[in-house]
Amino acid sequence: MKNRVRAFREARGWSQGELAEHLDVSRQTINAIENGKYDPSLPLAFKLARLFKQRIESMFEPDEER
Amino acid sequence: MARVSKGRYNLQVLAIMAVYVVLMLFEWPLVGKTEGLALRTLLALLPTLPVVVVIVLAARMVMRGDELEQRMHLIALSVAVGVISVASIVGGFLAVAKVWTVGGDVLFWVFPLLCMVYGITRVVLVRRVTGAWDFWGC
Repeated sequence: MKNRVRAFREARGWSQGELAEHLDVSRQTINAIENGKYDPSLPLAFKLARLFKQRIESMFEPDEER
Repeated sequence: MARVSKGRYNLQVLAIMAVYVVLMLFEWPLVGKTEGLALRTLLALLPTLPVVVVIVLAARMVMRGDELEQRMHLIALSVAVGVISVASIVGGFLAVAKVWTVGGDVLFWVFPLLCMVYGITRVVLVRRVTGAWDFWGC
């Protein structure tokens, strides 16, 4: 799944650690999400969307269906 | 629940394992010299106390981890349980077949081996998912 978490985070001028603190997760988890190595659960995805005041589909985009 | 601080967790585990080492060095040699069954049992089981405390601390750390951390702990633990299960079954069959003679003290190796396989698997997983080398904790 592609996501725009890094873009929204950088727009706020936050470090990965600061975003992690807002979401009560580890910095490594933010790093893994931003690099597309880990797709967050629905609750965490909604938390991210709410934090950045975005709709969830504007932050996460499924990969092209084969 | 607040996340467990990695530094604090490592310090607590180190302190408790230091207690374990002290017990093994100074208390364990007394077991063989103790006469009463009750006291000998107590002395023999005393070193398990710090190990149980470490397991409780580790469980608390996992419970308070985020979803990715919990997932990696679960995978690492599953791999470790799988490896130890196969090793113990192989050892058991070889012992029954009298191919390999083992004493009861072989059971001492179950927990350290479990921790070792779990730790190595976790380091590999963290490296694959986050790109970081994390040898020390959550």
